[in-house]
Amino acid sequence: MKLEMRQKLAREPFAEKIRKVGQLIRLAKTFPRRASKSTLARASAK
Amino acid sequence: MPIDEPSSNLPLADVLRAANGLVAAKLIEDWALGGALAAIYYIEPFTTYDADIFFIPADKGLTAGIPAIYAHLQAQGWQVEREHLVVRGFPVQFLAASGLTGEAVREAERIEYEGVPAKIFSAEHIVAIAASVGRPKDKARIEQLLQQADLDKTKLEKILQRHKLKLPTL
Repeated sequence: MKLEMRQKLAREPFAEKIRKVGQLIRLAKTFPRRASKSTLARASAK
Repeated sequence: MPIDEPSSNLPLADVLRAANGLVAAKLIEDWALGGALAAIYYIEPFTTYDADIFFIPADKGLTAGIPAIYAHLQAQGWQVEREHLVVRGFPVQFLAASGLTGEAVREAERIEYEGVPAKIFSAEHIVAIAASVGRPKDKARIEQLLQQADLDKTKLEKILQRHKLKLPTL
């Protein structure tokens, strides 16, 4: 993401930013990060 | 909504209200929000899974009054999961402040969040604490704060000098 965009997000009201953190947590719980191919390869090599 | 019912939103107001309640109950002297949520006050939002409340203990003994804090919050419906107290499904860590974090609590900024008065670490103290911890994620946080927050460079320099800290190479 461009720096100007990130700075714009940084200037948003705290309550709005906390609302977005809540959304990010819900997204992370709904779509948990999958292990990368290299991680899976390392795990299967053990 | 009962305090033990999970919330679809991040229950920060409940956390701040509870911290004020601990002062009213004379279990702590003072407190401030630190950690990732304090950083988010100054920079772009990012995922974090807990809140860090730093407090000045009223009990100067070895336990810093933690057992009484736990008992007080559990009586209000908070749950305990390992090192966290959990409110509405959101984990909160209560950390006794001393040294740099003690100074960060005493000099924290006063804010109001959803009508709840609160204190939050200054951006300069967050940078200094991240420099003192030094994990990769702390370096990333310093970089974000330097790029996005309106830092008082003189204040930051004084804090770093006072605590014999240096900013990491980014």
